[in-house]
Amino acid sequence: MATQTETSAVDIDRSIGDFHYDVHYGHDAGVGLSDRVVNYISDVKQDPDWVRQFRLNALKTFLSKPMPTHWASKDLDAIVFDNIRYYLAQGTPTKRNWEDVPEDIKRTFERLGIPEQERKFLAGVEAQFDSEAVYSNIKKAVGEQGVIFVGSTEGLKNHPEIFRKWFGKVIPTGDNKFSALNSAVFSGGSFIYVPPGVKVKHPLQAYFRINAENFGQFERTLIIVDEGAEVTYMEGCTAPKFNTATLHSAVVELVALRGAKIQYITVQNWSANVFNLVTKRGLAHEEAEIKWIDCNIGSRLTMKYPGVVLKGRKSRGEVLSIALAGNGQHQDTGAKMIHGADETTSNIISKSISIGTGRATYRGLVHVPKHLKHCKNNTECDALLINATSRTDTYPAITVRGTGNSVQHEASVSQVSAEQIFYMQQRGLSEGQAMSLSVNGFVNDLVRQFPMEYSVELKRLIELEMEGSVG
Amino acid sequence: MQQLEINNLRVAIGESEIIRDLSLTVRTGEVHAIMGPNGSGKSTLAKAIAGQPDYRVTGGGVLMDGENLLELGPDERARRGLFLAFQYPSEIPGVTIADFLRAAAQSRSPEGEELEATDYYAKLYEKMDLLDIDRSFTSRSVNEGFSGGEKKRSEILQMAMLEPRFAILDETDSGLDIDALKIVAHGVNSLRSPNLGVLVITHYQRLLNYIIPDFVHVMVQGRIVRSGDKELALELEEKGYDWIRDHAEEPVLV
Amino acid sequence: MSDNTAVLEHVKESEASEAQPTTRTILSGPAEDTPDQPTWFRQQREQGWQDFSLLPNPTRKDQPWRFSNVDVLNLASYQSGNLPSDHDRAQILEQSVALDGKSGRLIFANDHFLERDVLPESLRKSGVIFQPLERALTEHEGLVRRYFMTQPAALGSAKFAALHRAHVRAGAFVYVPRGVELDLPIEIFHWLADENVAVFPHLLLVADETSKVTVIEHFRSVEKTRHGFACGVNDLIAGHGATVKYVCTQRWNENVVALQINATTVERDASAMSLNLHLGGAYSRFESLSRLVGEGARSDLLALSVAHHKQEFDARTLQDHRSPHTTSDLLYKNALSDRSRTIFGGLIRVERHAHFTDAYQKVRNLLLSDDAEANSMPGLEILADNVKCSHGATSGQVDEEEMFYLLSRGIPEIIAKQLIVAGFLDEVIGRLSNSLIGQHLRDLIADKFRLDATRAAIAA
Repeated sequence: MATQTETSAVDIDRSIGDFHYDVHYGHDAGVGLSDRVVNYISDVKQDPDWVRQFRLNALKTFLSKPMPTHWASKDLDAIVFDNIRYYLAQGTPTKRNWEDVPEDIKRTFERLGIPEQERKFLAGVEAQFDSEAVYSNIKKAVGEQGVIFVGSTEGLKNHPEIFRKWFGKVIPTGDNKFSALNSAVFSGGSFIYVPPGVKVKHPLQAYFRINAENFGQFERTLIIVDEGAEVTYMEGCTAPKFNTATLHSAVVELVALRGAKIQYITVQNWSANVFNLVTKRGLAHEEAEIKWIDCNIGSRLTMKYPGVVLKGRKSRGEVLSIALAGNGQHQDTGAKMIHGADETTSNIISKSISIGTGRATYRGLVHVPKHLKHCKNNTECDALLINATSRTDTYPAITVRGTGNSVQHEASVSQVSAEQIFYMQQRGLSEGQAMSLSVNGFVNDLVRQFPMEYSVELKRLIELEMEGSVG
Repeated sequence: MQQLEINNLRVAIGESEIIRDLSLTVRTGEVHAIMGPNGSGKSTLAKAIAGQPDYRVTGGGVLMDGENLLELGPDERARRGLFLAFQYPSEIPGVTIADFLRAAAQSRSPEGEELEATDYYAKLYEKMDLLDIDRSFTSRSVNEGFSGGEKKRSEILQMAMLEPRFAILDETDSGLDIDALKIVAHGVNSLRSPNLGVLVITHYQRLLNYIIPDFVHVMVQGRIVRSGDKELALELEEKGYDWIRDHAEEPVLV
Repeated sequence: MSDNTAVLEHVKESEASEAQPTTRTILSGPAEDTPDQPTWFRQQREQGWQDFSLLPNPTRKDQPWRFSNVDVLNLASYQSGNLPSDHDRAQILEQSVALDGKSGRLIFANDHFLERDVLPESLRKSGVIFQPLERALTEHEGLVRRYFMTQPAALGSAKFAALHRAHVRAGAFVYVPRGVELDLPIEIFHWLADENVAVFPHLLLVADETSKVTVIEHFRSVEKTRHGFACGVNDLIAGHGATVKYVCTQRWNENVVALQINATTVERDASAMSLNLHLGGAYSRFESLSRLVGEGARSDLLALSVAHHKQEFDARTLQDHRSPHTTSDLLYKNALSDRSRTIFGGLIRVERHAHFTDAYQKVRNLLLSDDAEANSMPGLEILADNVKCSHGATSGQVDEEEMFYLLSRGIPEIIAKQLIVAGFLDEVIGRLSNSLIGQHLRDLIADKFRLDATRAAIAA
């Protein structure tokens, strides 16, 4: 495992997020995981009893579950749960106005450009710093339509009637070891409710920032979009580069009621010391649509397989994902589509790029149980290998029953050829530019489906990665 | 006047020597044609000058206005004003012609200076009209799914946009029907100027009916064995390459 | 024609009566030694038994057994078999006919050697060996020892490979010397005759440099209902520039649980092609490992399953590219009726230095009933550069318009369906480019269809 850490130290410039300010924390649960730590978190957050019980039960589940190393990367064993700090916060309530955010935290988000983006094109922003949301605000007009956009703590206290109904229902505590861990120590994340028929025009954004060393961030997001309503949610993540492992383990649950549409966009650019182990799943009711757009650029190891449970007739699920595994990185990503009603359709398009000693893995699950009619799944996985030391794997599992359904899966692996690079060099492009253009070309048809702001950001990140990868 | 000077060049692929002691000087304003049978090393010459890494220069030099090109990377040679129209242009999936050419043009701008988009597109459309290329062409991926004629027109379009000082056209006529050939030749002719030197590499005399060269060189087994004016091409067409082998001005290596 | 010169060699009466040990269950220990077995072979047998006893039973949570019905692998009731009754023997000999032309033939029943057609003299003179394994163990000990079960059972069945090692007795050894080409296939029959018998069919095929050979194995049951267990292993070795074709037709009855473990090694510039036709068995698992160890090696992996009732076909494959410039191409097709299930778990693995590899994998499932279930897990692990790899898996059903077209011509539904299925499967048979074997495979598929059609007619 030591070599893994060393290779990730030769990481390319992830300079946008790679800075760190000293911050004073009012609440610190200390190092390690126990009932005491869980109770400490519940005390600080003044959890209702049912939440405290939920956490304590989840801790038991977490401890009883083995590491999934029988199928997943052995690198997981490098996580030392006893060395991690599970809760760190300043202890001040979430602010509605950037002016009120403590200076030492505010300058972090200003440097990341969050307040500026908010002014430009967002309907609302939440900013989480280590364990707690420090800022959360939505545009007045959006709030007046009855849209709720708050932190999870606030959500479970102020809107228990909606929160409790869906919390932990899409992803039960015991779904996997890391969803259990999140359920025990969760803090932060977003709670969103969009009332029937309300179509939120501009995206809501959350920004997750890890600032402290040896820290674990466990945000919990729950989004409920009522009948016929629509919302787009975007999240960004960064952390400074520390020498020790940092853990990010979120749980994200989406509920799209009849005819609702949710688009959930992630650009993950964690630094190369972060273990990013995230469970994301959506529940689509009749004629609802859930789309995950998932871009994984950073981290040491990412394991994330966004899923959609297609519960209602004619519901639709989609996962569009791009993974870029740089030197020493492992992007273990994929998608799950569980068809549970007639005429449901799902679409998975995954593109991965492996650079240097990077490894990109696709794992997919498509399940069409019996007696369903006219269900369709289409899966395409394309992998691009840049260097001779790069690696890619594809492990789909597809179950289909009955005569009414059609499922197809296709995967391919290709390279950027030396001829192609020479051709571009002859036109005056440097090797790095040529490589980056090729890679952008490889993901282009997918990126075109992303919102503008994100495709520009993504192209820039890919260029940064590629320029560091040649020469 | 500027010149591209090839002095006693020797080029090998792996262990076998393909170009053997070849010398040639092209000045701006001139059009030279190199003709030769298959396997005479014509394409090797083009790629070696452009800096294809598989081709190893084992002797001699290539100078552009006195600067040794062989010490430069292929992209640096291109930015100095050398252009190669490929015989088999590569496909670049997902990258549009417009984006590609813009990146290439941008690479020629001084550091930190952004290309002006409106100027760039105005120029691009002007050149496309010149080459009888449809506007929708720019949104297609570079060479992907192009017909032979489209590929060659795309090469000449790139040449027009990048305004090189020296251009090498490697078998630009191969795989073209007569109509496509005329369009490509028309494009090249319209780019002829006192500021551009052209080296046309071809197997057939046909192309030279449309791009009239100032000089014609015949290449056999890695060296130039005969040079003359455009009449040499016609003579060659009539008598075939065997005639050259038999009447070489210099001894032909066997 | 070489089969005209074939010499029949019946099992002698004395051998037949001598080979009547008391039956014992296969879980009571390894098979008993026979006097002329070499020591190393006896040691293998002991080792196999030890490994079998130590290795854990597979569970569905093990990745190589995901989706598999592991509950059927309770082996307690199975026992070693005796030489079948005279009546059954006569039937077996009469029915051990498949191809019109063959180079030689071996027939086993209940793991006992019954009969063989020896190779034509010309082939024997050029050094081709085709013998029961037991005899080869003494007559060609060196060769057998060099190749016998040297490949790992890498696809989940290490425990059952160990069981095979502990019990193997019946099987064939084929050796084709350098440069020798066999025009006609070699045929091997394995029969299950009595209730609860276990058999451990073995094939060891060594094709030396630039030789060429086709072997076809037939797995059959004498009777339709008797339970049984088959645990076979075959090792195919294609030496430098050799061309090997291996075909297997599996027609155990539908109360048989079968495991077949294949390992193919393809050396430099050699080419190996295998086609497995799965028709019988209650649960039938087939593991195929193809190792491309030399530059220029090529491997074609083909399989067809026609599943009905509650049959389960479980295929696991690995295309293991260990050298540059190697090619593999897999095409598996499954047609599923009634409550049947199929599982395909396949992996293309391109090792770190196996650059310039082309590897393809395609699985097509045709679902013919609402209760049938197809599971596909096509996988890729690519560690090399300049690789062309792709895989695809589809599951679908009979095109309604196509069906309607046939019905409108007055063709009954079941027959129309079967025609469409036969067309769907034929692409795989075509890849074999052997019309003799191809026709036989088509006939076997038609046989199974005929049963279903009769059943449908009776039901109607």
